[in-house]
Amino acid sequence: MLFKNIPIRKKLLRIIFLINGIVLLVACVAFFLYEYYIFRKTTIEKLSTIGKIVSANSTAALAFDSPDDAKEILAALKNEPHIVMASLYDKKGNLFTEYHAGKEVKNFPVHPETSGYHFVQSHLEGFESVMQDGKQLGTLYLRSDMGALQERMRLYAGIVAIVLIVSFLLAYLLVKILKKSISTPIISLAETAKIISTKKDYSVRAVKMGNDEIGSLTDAFNQMLAQIQQQDDSLKEFTQNLEQKVMVRTDQLESVNKELEGFSYSVSHDLRAPLRAIIGFTAILEEDYTSKLDNEARRITSVIKSNTEKMGRLIDDLLSFSRLGRQEMAKTKTDMAMLVNEVKDFFAIEDEFAKIKWVIRPLPQIDANANMVRQVWMNLISNAVKYSAKCESPSIEIGSYVKGDQTVFFVKDNGVGFDEQYRDKLFKVFQRLHSAEEFEGTGIGLALVQKIIVKQGGRVWAEGEEGNGACFYFSLPS
Amino acid sequence: MPILKIIIKQLMKYCKKPFFIIRLILILVVTLNNLYLQGQVIPSREYQLKAVFLFNFTQFVDWPPASYDTEQSPLVIGILGKNPFGTYLEQTVSGEKINGHPVIVRYFENEAEAKGCHLLFLNIPESKKRNDILKALKGKSILTVSDGIDFLEQGGMIRFFTNKNKIKIQINLEASKASELVVSSKLLGVAEIFKP
Repeated sequence: MLFKNIPIRKKLLRIIFLINGIVLLVACVAFFLYEYYIFRKTTIEKLSTIGKIVSANSTAALAFDSPDDAKEILAALKNEPHIVMASLYDKKGNLFTEYHAGKEVKNFPVHPETSGYHFVQSHLEGFESVMQDGKQLGTLYLRSDMGALQERMRLYAGIVAIVLIVSFLLAYLLVKILKKSISTPIISLAETAKIISTKKDYSVRAVKMGNDEIGSLTDAFNQMLAQIQQQDDSLKEFTQNLEQKVMVRTDQLESVNKELEGFSYSVSHDLRAPLRAIIGFTAILEEDYTSKLDNEARRITSVIKSNTEKMGRLIDDLLSFSRLGRQEMAKTKTDMAMLVNEVKDFFAIEDEFAKIKWVIRPLPQIDANANMVRQVWMNLISNAVKYSAKCESPSIEIGSYVKGDQTVFFVKDNGVGFDEQYRDKLFKVFQRLHSAEEFEGTGIGLALVQKIIVKQGGRVWAEGEEGNGACFYFSLPS
Repeated sequence: MPILKIIIKQLMKYCKKPFFIIRLILILVVTLNNLYLQGQVIPSREYQLKAVFLFNFTQFVDWPPASYDTEQSPLVIGILGKNPFGTYLEQTVSGEKINGHPVIVRYFENEAEAKGCHLLFLNIPESKKRNDILKALKGKSILTVSDGIDFLEQGGMIRFFTNKNKIKIQINLEASKASELVVSSKLLGVAEIFKP
């Protein structure tokens, strides 16, 4: 695991262990070197002292040629186990007596050398003059192994190991204590942040544990939280206000709309009664008083009649348009092909439209309100018939295709068409592209179509070209 | 004749080498010294050792200051009786000093002459004569040494004896103490202590 990815507590532990280890190692190496140097020095001093004592003791033995006594004196060296070899030489430099510890038998120097001690490989050896009253009686040779040094170094290694273990244990405890002041505040801060982000509760505050960097971080964090909370509150307030406003407006709009629908319904309904009277009395005039009227009066009567009929259709259309808003939509499985054929037959039987060539493609069944959809087909097909009837070889094509999750139906004719720039006006109430003299109509049909389709979750649009036919599309959810 | 010529030629060549004179002198000195030594009496190995021992005693025994006239007065080793050391003892002590006192050897005819010496070797085989001499020297700070078997019983201080071909020392501590002589414990370590 990378150092940057491990927890702070472990980081702290590793840093302290590392520093501790390095410091101890350096200290121990220095200690070792110092001890090694000192020990060599003291070993020489010690051996030199022993040499002086032994040589002082062996003067008489040398002076009076008593190797037995000398041997006895040297034998006392067995109390110093690191002295492995010792020998005495007489005045002339001949080997006088010798001593060796344990089984280690090595060649003694044949002749004494100058006084002094030095390290040779793994041992210390040297010569000491045996003097009596300033006169040399002989020479002492001593050889000490460095077992004492190795023993000492082993002891130190043990001590160092114990010190290391103890100091690492102490460091571990220290980290446990330090953890409280370093890692705990950070962990608590992180936990607070986690709680806030999961519960989205910005009123929670991190607890500040000290005035160090983590303390100021906690402060900054809390300040940030306060700002977020403030913004969150104002946002909530704003949303609530907006919702309320929308609700109020919707209510107002709905009531106004209802009022309007009610108004137009009652207006249409109330207009029917006087109109019926006009139609009735005009019919009486035509039938019962036709002999009493002159030609001009009869013409005027027929004009009144045709206009009242037109007005009746207008009122019917307005009624059905305004009724639409009040009706509930009950969707059933509707066979489009059947509907289309019904509507087609309605027109096809008229001699007037006999020359129209019908092309009806297979149409699917669809979930919709059959009555409404019939009105849609009725309007679109009647439009197609109306605007194409005057051309030489009119033809109407009806079909469908699936686009996304909607089924698109179309009615295409080769009639007079329309100017593309007015395509948005087509579906507005009372908006007409042609005069009533040219093509009769109330200007409500396409508006009604749009209202029905949109209400059922669909869309209406048209394509066309002046003099080159038009194509009306509507889509419904498949 | 040609041989002589060659020898002369070689000699001439040799003379030209450096240090010729020094070499010549050295050769002469060595030759003369050998001639001189041949004229001396060389003692037996036993007495050579005993001569060294006699000198060594002076290093391990302290005499009272009163035994010296001055600071520079010599430490006298005396031989009473026949001299068994030849010139060997003199050679051994020649140039030696003990605590500033030069060591010298004297040969005495009788005990009266020996009263001023520090160490006296009695080479007198007759037990009775030795006894008389010891009595005469009693109270003097003289370290008496001899080979005589009953020397220590007689009041002598150090006796040489031979054991396994080695010369050993026996010391009469009471006698030495009585004469105000301090014998080093080191010496006692290598000697046998006589118990009357």
